[in-house]
Amino acid sequence: MATVTAAPEQAAPRIRSDRLERIAGQALALLASLLIALLLGAVLIVAYGESPAQVYGAIWEFSFGSVSNFGYVLAIATPLIFSALAVAVCFKGGLFNIGVEGQYLVAMVAAAWAALNLDFLPGGLHVVGVLVVASLGGMIWAAVPGVLKVKTGAHEVVTTIMMNGIAVSFLAWAVNFPLKAQEIPAGQNVDLRTDVFPDSALVGDIGTTFGVSRGAHLSWLLLLAIAASIVVWFLLRRTRLGYEARAVGSSPGSARAGGISIGGTQIKLFLISGALAGLVGMQQILADRGYLGLNYVAVLGFTGIAVAFLGQNNPIGIIFAAILWAVLSRGEVALQIETEVPREFVIILQGILILSVVITYQIAKRRLAARQLQRAGAVGSLEDSAAAEDIEGLAKEDR
Amino acid sequence: MSLVDVAVAVQISLTYFTIIYLTGLGGLYSERSGIVNIGLEGLMIIGTVTGAAGARFFADAAPDGLGWGAWSVAIGLLFGAFCGALFALVHAAATVTFRVDHIVSGVVINLVAIGLARFLSATFFDGQATQSNPGGPHLPILNVPLLSDLPAQVGRAFSGLSPVVVFAALLVFPVWYSLYRTRWGLRLRSCGENPEAARSLGVRVSAYRYEGVMLSGALAGLSGAFLAVEEIGNWREGQTLGLGFISLAALILSNWNPVRLLFFAWLFGFAKAIPLRLDDAPLINLLPPQFINMIPYVVTIVAIAGFVGKVRPPAAAGRAYEGGSAI
Amino acid sequence: MTEDGGAGRTGAPPLVVLEHITKRFPGVVANDDVSLELRPGEIHALIGENGAGKSTLMRVLYGMYPADGGRILVRGQEAKIASPRAAIALGIGMVHQHFVLVDPFTVTENVILGDEDGAILDRSEAERKVRELADTYGFQIDPRATVEDLSVGEEQRVEILKALYRGIDILILDEPTAVLTPSEANDLFGNLRELKASGKSIVFISHKLDEVLEIADRITVLRRGAVVGETKPAETSKATLAEMMVGRPVLFRLEKPQVEVGEPVLSVRGLRGEGKLNGIDLEVRGGEILGVAGVEGNGQRELAEALIGLRQPEGGTIELEGTDIGGRSVEDIRNAGVAYIPEDRHEQGLVLDMTLWENVVLGRHDDAEFSGSGGVLFIKKIKELASRLVKLFDVRTRSIDVYASTLSGGNQQKLILARELETDPRLLVAAQPTRGLDVGAIEFVWRQILEQKGEGRAVLLISAELDEIYALSDRIVTLYEGRITGEFPPDAAPEELGVGMLGGVREEAVG
Repeated sequence: MATVTAAPEQAAPRIRSDRLERIAGQALALLASLLIALLLGAVLIVAYGESPAQVYGAIWEFSFGSVSNFGYVLAIATPLIFSALAVAVCFKGGLFNIGVEGQYLVAMVAAAWAALNLDFLPGGLHVVGVLVVASLGGMIWAAVPGVLKVKTGAHEVVTTIMMNGIAVSFLAWAVNFPLKAQEIPAGQNVDLRTDVFPDSALVGDIGTTFGVSRGAHLSWLLLLAIAASIVVWFLLRRTRLGYEARAVGSSPGSARAGGISIGGTQIKLFLISGALAGLVGMQQILADRGYLGLNYVAVLGFTGIAVAFLGQNNPIGIIFAAILWAVLSRGEVALQIETEVPREFVIILQGILILSVVITYQIAKRRLAARQLQRAGAVGSLEDSAAAEDIEGLAKEDR
Repeated sequence: MSLVDVAVAVQISLTYFTIIYLTGLGGLYSERSGIVNIGLEGLMIIGTVTGAAGARFFADAAPDGLGWGAWSVAIGLLFGAFCGALFALVHAAATVTFRVDHIVSGVVINLVAIGLARFLSATFFDGQATQSNPGGPHLPILNVPLLSDLPAQVGRAFSGLSPVVVFAALLVFPVWYSLYRTRWGLRLRSCGENPEAARSLGVRVSAYRYEGVMLSGALAGLSGAFLAVEEIGNWREGQTLGLGFISLAALILSNWNPVRLLFFAWLFGFAKAIPLRLDDAPLINLLPPQFINMIPYVVTIVAIAGFVGKVRPPAAAGRAYEGGSAI
Repeated sequence: MTEDGGAGRTGAPPLVVLEHITKRFPGVVANDDVSLELRPGEIHALIGENGAGKSTLMRVLYGMYPADGGRILVRGQEAKIASPRAAIALGIGMVHQHFVLVDPFTVTENVILGDEDGAILDRSEAERKVRELADTYGFQIDPRATVEDLSVGEEQRVEILKALYRGIDILILDEPTAVLTPSEANDLFGNLRELKASGKSIVFISHKLDEVLEIADRITVLRRGAVVGETKPAETSKATLAEMMVGRPVLFRLEKPQVEVGEPVLSVRGLRGEGKLNGIDLEVRGGEILGVAGVEGNGQRELAEALIGLRQPEGGTIELEGTDIGGRSVEDIRNAGVAYIPEDRHEQGLVLDMTLWENVVLGRHDDAEFSGSGGVLFIKKIKELASRLVKLFDVRTRSIDVYASTLSGGNQQKLILARELETDPRLLVAAQPTRGLDVGAIEFVWRQILEQKGEGRAVLLISAELDEIYALSDRIVTLYEGRITGEFPPDAAPEELGVGMLGGVREEAVG
């Protein structure tokens, strides 16, 4: 059998270069985008009469200058990891879940209900129960577009957008009626919100152990997020479901001919995605505020799409992408304290970054595909006029 | 609830209609050219903030006698439309030139718009990131002839309207004509249905798609500016309230048809007006107002799932064309 | 060389001259020093097998591909044709195999698109012009009809009208009859004769010899990118043409293994579905290859997909060794012992964005051998299998870790064969198994299929290539409009099969 294993071994160096090429291409694209964002940002900074080095230095300082600062960054990154994972899981299966937004809003309502009503659960089980209920809320909300897609063919992009709209009203209703705060201290004028959750429903702080200030609200949800990334990676790469998901995502016809149930796979993906989406809002209500209000932090779901893209839908890449995004968000504070540049400047930076990432990844991907095809042509034989036409097309487009 | 309430509700609905219809028409041009545009909300947001800024700057800079007034509002509206078109250029470049997935680009547009609006607001309005100075003038109001004279206060529904409302409603004629009776419309639609066919006949698909997307930016921007400048009179963060997505819903239900869009835009506008004015009507008073707000979304889901009728988007919308796969 | 004013049809100066055209794609020479003349008012057939370079050559002429060598003369002038637009300006139009029409538009809108009379459309005037044009050439078509309501034959007429509307006098038709029913093809030929009579020149790309002999004035044969000969219908025969096309009397003859034919493995009775299958009866026994011959679009695809479970039959039974498998899931049918080589390897065979080793277990990934009850894949085992199969089936690749998209077509097909045959199936359903492959790969696939017969397995071979049917089959049936129209021994004359493939109306007369 020695001869059998010989072939791949011989080829190994070439392959490594193949993989390296793919990774290097993506890294280069990301780097280029970051550079573009920073350069354009520098122009803006100069227009404000400040020094780019100083402004960027301040952002760096406020993210990495101290353990506490980095703690703040990680706390911001926590919900983004969940959100981006939720997007990526569906994406691998060829589904676009832009309903993470609505799923996490509904999940926050579910969690708030559980936090206020499941307090009979003993000890640490209460918070676990809250998280489970939140995930269930997200799953239910994600199941609707999933089932509609499979049963009626309704496009998930449209249905999830609509589910988002419903979720906003649902949350407003919940905070206005069933979950409206009963115990507001007299004379205090507070926004519409729920009662403050009991302590047993809150997630514990881990930041203080490492010297992160309590104000960062760095909780063990971060560890849960990292664990979730690893689980999602394993799920996609090492399990039957992940295999089926990727097959369905890249070639539904071949997957079906291989006996894979497309609808079944898609519904499972939506449920997993919804469960992850359900955890997006937890950092905010269980670690930070301790109640659910109408002034919740919005668009974490849409931001998750951006982060998923930055991380190329790779569960591990997403952790780093979320941190990068969080560094920029953290920069808002830096700008306010250290510079005259409006703090919203970093949002522009994020915008430019994600726009250029989307575009440079696309370019990198096409180049890579063209190169691969070209190689296939060189290895292959005469019959491949179809592949050859593809190359021709790509070459034409690249001009 | 009285007849007057209904009349007033209709009047309010006409304002929402204007916002939804203008934005929906924007989406229509874009998607008819083959570019899915879920960034309508973002384009509207840009319209709100730039519209407000345009009106204020003109008022500040204008010679005496002009100042705050109809002129500044008009300038604000135009500036909002212009900036919307400019911002839509980003979506066009991403999807047409760089062939980025339309949905991805649309999401990014929405996301970036929120940040950009904040940034612009902080820059324009003395460091106020989330709102501009309150108060503002309006265009002279219009009473629709005949309709506004209807007895029993029913005429109120058609009185005191902004000229923009009438403008939006009348827009159906030129839009329909441009799509179905001109060379430009024929070509634009062919790009949305079968770009390969269009290109093989010498139609410059990319150019038409840029035009379609930029028109959508202009219309959504105008819609946003109308909301901020003419209707409310100041800019506040989040004032679009998802109306861009409701416009998208109306567009889908209309089957990408400007005439049917007229109806759905008004229907959803009326749904918006119900909790404001008709919350004590029978049946409705059983529902919390938030549930009324869900109506457009629910209706759209039901329709898209094929439970009623059938919607058929432009065949090539969303497809990255010229070979490559979509994403 | 060029004389001016030659009015006569023969001896007239050529309208188009292709001189030493060479077109390379990376790793492939699609056209190798090809020269060709097109005269005014002639129908010039360009024939050759799939992949012979016919379409590529015409796409060069139509401005879709730049040539790597050689030159093009149009009406005696050297022409640089950089785009289809430039080709149309020179009076050259092309109708592709796959139509490019805007479905919700009317016939008129499709015809005038890109060439409208003014910024404002005058619909009645445009309709009048299109009707006039159609009448001139005897085209039956309603200018107001919406394209999506038209039949395939009518859509083709719209395509031709589009070219004529632009004033072309050279019309290139790429495999125009591939999608037509025989009666539609007849109508098309009538239209083409009409066009020819009005002085248009036509290039007719085909690989169907009968129709070429019927319609063409001259015939050029391409093989592997080069011209092998030029002739006229009167001076040649089908056999000669076929020989020119394939390069030898028969592509190659493989020894059929002699095995005892066993019990029926597959019996299909009265199979119906979606209007494409109208009561199919057939039976395949162990150690037997049943060839299903027929013009494409007569239910081949539907038959194959019903057998593997991708389509639900609406009536009839499918029995595999006595058990009814009709309407069961793909998974069940595969587990029952059916292997499937799809007609379209990219759509139904491989996941191009997955590695070779991942593709090797597609359809078997849930076997206990390859994944545990907890749903975790046994990657080491899968890779071992992949390494073994890649070696065994001679899949030329640098590694099993590359994407399937990096393989050439022949190697992709080998990978599918490896996967499907590894399962030790009872029945192999092979649909157009050598489509688009080169001769070497064809031979490999054929050998593998014959080997299945040698192993005593049943094979259902669905093919549009008669060569293939003859080379492999023990029995042949013909399929026409979703029915089996005849059964033939493997040495039946092609004419007999032809009758079956066209509906077998004259079956009695022949039999």
